[in-house]
Amino acid sequence: MSPLNVSPKRREYEVLPSLNVPGIPAVAPLPTGETEDTRRIVERFGQDILAAGLHNGLQTVIVKPERLVELAQFIKDEPKLAYETIIDVSSVDRLELPIPEGEPRFQTVYQFRSYRRKQHLMVISPTQGDDEHPRAPSLTPVFRGATWPEREVYDLMGITFDGHPDLRRILMPAHWPYHPLQKQIPLGGEEVPFSLTWDDPEFETLGTQILPAESVKPTLPPGMNRRHMIINMGPHHPSTHGVLRLVVELDGERVIKVDPDLGYLHSGFEKTGEHKRYKDFVYYTDRMDYLSAMNNNLGYVLTVEAMLGVEIPERAQVIRVIMGELQRIASHLLWLATHALDVSGTGMSLLMYATRERELILDLFELVCGARLTTSYIRIGGVWRDVPDIFLDRVRHFIQTFPGRLAEYEAMLTESPVWRERLEGIGVISREDALNMGLTGPMLRGSGVDWDLRRDMPYSGYENYDFVVPVSQRGDSYGRYLVRMEEMRQSVRILEQAVANLPDGPYKTNDRKVALPPRPELDLSMEALIHHFKLVTEGIHVPPGMYYHGIEASKGELGFFIYSDGSGRPYRLHVRGPSFNNLYALDHMCQGAMLSDVVTNIGSVDIVLGEVDR
Amino acid sequence: MDWLNLIVFPILRTVVLFLVLLTGFAYLTWFERKLLARFHVRYGPNRAGKFGLLQPVADAVKAMFKEEIVPSHVDKPIYLVAPALALIPALIIWAVIPVAKDTPAIADVGIGFLWILAVAGLESYGLILAGWSSNNNYSLLGALRSSAQMISYELPLGLFLVSILILAGSFSLVELVDNPRAWWEWLWLWVAFPFFFICILAETNRSPFDLPETENELVAGYQTEYGGIKFSLFYMAEYINMITTSAIMATLFFGGWRGPFAEEIVWLGPVYLFIKVVVLLFLFVWVRASISRPRYDQLMRFGWKFLLPVGIVYMAITAVLAVLLK
Amino acid sequence: MAIDYLPLLILIILAMGFAAIAMGLPAVLGPKLPNKQKYEPYESGIIPFADARRRFPVQYYLVAMLFVVFDIEVIFLYPWAVILNRLGLFALVEMAIFLLILLVGYVYCWKRGALDWGGQVRPGDDVVESQVVESQVEEE
Repeated sequence: MSPLNVSPKRREYEVLPSLNVPGIPAVAPLPTGETEDTRRIVERFGQDILAAGLHNGLQTVIVKPERLVELAQFIKDEPKLAYETIIDVSSVDRLELPIPEGEPRFQTVYQFRSYRRKQHLMVISPTQGDDEHPRAPSLTPVFRGATWPEREVYDLMGITFDGHPDLRRILMPAHWPYHPLQKQIPLGGEEVPFSLTWDDPEFETLGTQILPAESVKPTLPPGMNRRHMIINMGPHHPSTHGVLRLVVELDGERVIKVDPDLGYLHSGFEKTGEHKRYKDFVYYTDRMDYLSAMNNNLGYVLTVEAMLGVEIPERAQVIRVIMGELQRIASHLLWLATHALDVSGTGMSLLMYATRERELILDLFELVCGARLTTSYIRIGGVWRDVPDIFLDRVRHFIQTFPGRLAEYEAMLTESPVWRERLEGIGVISREDALNMGLTGPMLRGSGVDWDLRRDMPYSGYENYDFVVPVSQRGDSYGRYLVRMEEMRQSVRILEQAVANLPDGPYKTNDRKVALPPRPELDLSMEALIHHFKLVTEGIHVPPGMYYHGIEASKGELGFFIYSDGSGRPYRLHVRGPSFNNLYALDHMCQGAMLSDVVTNIGSVDIVLGEVDR
Repeated sequence: MDWLNLIVFPILRTVVLFLVLLTGFAYLTWFERKLLARFHVRYGPNRAGKFGLLQPVADAVKAMFKEEIVPSHVDKPIYLVAPALALIPALIIWAVIPVAKDTPAIADVGIGFLWILAVAGLESYGLILAGWSSNNNYSLLGALRSSAQMISYELPLGLFLVSILILAGSFSLVELVDNPRAWWEWLWLWVAFPFFFICILAETNRSPFDLPETENELVAGYQTEYGGIKFSLFYMAEYINMITTSAIMATLFFGGWRGPFAEEIVWLGPVYLFIKVVVLLFLFVWVRASISRPRYDQLMRFGWKFLLPVGIVYMAITAVLAVLLK
Repeated sequence: MAIDYLPLLILIILAMGFAAIAMGLPAVLGPKLPNKQKYEPYESGIIPFADARRRFPVQYYLVAMLFVVFDIEVIFLYPWAVILNRLGLFALVEMAIFLLILLVGYVYCWKRGALDWGGQVRPGDDVVESQVVESQVEEE
């Protein structure tokens, strides 16, 4: 038996015509108008700002690449701007768009956030170099948080970042020949390394043993010393929460360096998204952070709705809040269960208890949409169906029983000396580091930054609810533990208010260009039939432009960046997964820790590999 | 007939002992799984036989029919000897434990304490050699941990045993149980029990001191490269050790086979011992279900900086009490 | 009498025999499906970077050495413990002196940090406190 060739051959692809028919592809319009922030930036950088203003309601600045790093430094240091953190780095390949002559094919897109001033800024920069070898300056000297997102852009889009300390592929295998998000790479065009045909000799033994592929010798991550013990934790390890692989450099029991190796679950959501109609991508979002599908649905749907400018009925908004908070509790419960199991081993008891409560929530999801994990319940324009009558009673029952159960778990852990000993002072992240590394969610609040998108940039009517954002000044794993526990209690509070105030009315928008008309209407109205036909065959047409929207998912800020060319499919769809950006902090957290603390820290970051690898 | 007493009866006794221990091991796994399941609000094994009572049989059969795998990179002789080396001490330590009035399990050799200490000291070899011969990083770390942990907790354990010796005044466990004790001796003994129990947990690598085989960090620690029956032997060693140490604790702290009418009706002795052992085993499982595992350095610190001083102080007080009151 | 120990010998031999039979069983009963990957070391599904036979930190040896020192002293206590009741006060004083010497060594080890495994340095640990003390001294 000969070993299978696992490296695909380099193949030249012809440039395919866009699949986005009908509709004439259009570039996003330039930002217009002026805000205080853009005015300051234009004042400082003058001619090097190509355009500035508001775009889809977002403060947007287009800057020449030569001065990009300077701009980042300026908006970070200037006290009147104070953009403390970088949220996301993404890129657009404009190959299929009618871009003006002389403009480069690629653009890099950055999202900055000022927590103090509650401002968001999108910075766009064309690339340097020719279209075959695009280059961009790296923002890592200013924001450490750009390290992994820039590696991702390099890996998937092929843009080289000058000055990046560690520019390796991050999601694809090291020997992969393509940059899959480039537009000339077709969807599914690669040879699948392990495909078998009936003629293959391997087929004889298929099912009786593993495929006789040669094992690939791992490459040593840069900066590791072979004199120390270097072990692989994962991808097949009990406590790396899926297929995360960590290369850990150890001196005895003490950790010197941790290098996460991602991509074992990479499934190319972004590329797939470019080939799906807007409404069809909702189902894919379930599979990203598969422990909080509702939040993923919501994040994506809100982004598209903002670009469309549709009004969502009150009832749908409240249902969305109920689902989002239930999902947050479910996600935190599973975090608690696995964290306790990882740290203590005996937390097996807690695993079963927390799963018991999570089961109640999954039952509720099953009640409203038939699915427990991949719900796809929140749709563009509203929700899939109205909640059944029994639903509210069941939620009330849950609200009554859950706080008591939560108190039980706290009694098991919070004051337990062993538990405290294992978490206190472990994985410390200072406030400055948390901001610099672009952490979000409980990781950020555990380090003393008082920020929650639900309160500070409200969406779905969160401004109508009374809740407290828990913040811990400790910065260690125990602080993050306390924050998450309190968040569950606050979610119950939000649920109580939402259930008490659920209004009557439609559960999805009446805009016939966005949501399907009700079934009975089709029998009577020609117009409804036409709308139905258009929506089913072409999908929703989103006006050209780009938009970024983030929501507070259970693990942090879940953001969607969409570039629309006016057709029924997103031209570029980028996901900012909180797990991905938060996982970057792992090496920082593990410096000088013990081997057992690595496990504590993984649990404390709270990752889901579906979202990290996407 | 001399050879009858010298050869045949010991062989018979040994066979009976092995049968009891192996059955005990098999049903201890069932007992633990059932109990843990109740702690976890689930059912536990309930498919093989009534209440899952045939589950241990099914497990044994499965282990026997597994493929024999010796990884290519291991040190083969040591790798193969290690599981046996872990199991043998667990089996033979029973020899000196009295099961009824004037009846030790195998032989009353007058050095019961030393036998227990010596054989218990052998136990760590199996784990260390298993980890070392496997030539696997996880196994090596597990072996290093287990060796450091077991010897660290052997010290306080030894000190508590010395204290018990002071009160007993004899190396023989048979005499220890037979000799009457004053009420203050009992009370003072029970003060030591919690500490002794902690040491025993560490010595048997039981949760929460199961750091040599923490699946959350080291996958399976020193057992990572073992499968099939060889893994089962480690498993067997751990569980028989639990039974053994429970019996030792019952003997040292709770009068072993003693109980109402045990002196008159001989067969009641083993029954009382069995009940005491089961209660102590329940304690093992209870601890596993409810107490978190410490980190490695915390474990070592606890052993050296807390248990050892406590052991020394306890022993000193015992000696003074013994001289003053006896 | 040495003959008293014969049952123990028989026990040991039978225990070894049992272990040997148990180890030999699957070779007879189990299937044989050899495969190269099966015999590779397990390190979470990745081929290890290096052999596991390597130098490891001295701290493990330190524990072993400390153990030998203290354990031998505990061994001395056993015969003493058995006859303490017969010797009375004399033995008690003797052993108190012996223990005192042991204790000096123990305190020395503790102070030198030989008993610390050295976890993550965290706020409240000795290191941080000593720095604080030093800075205060400087200010004065």
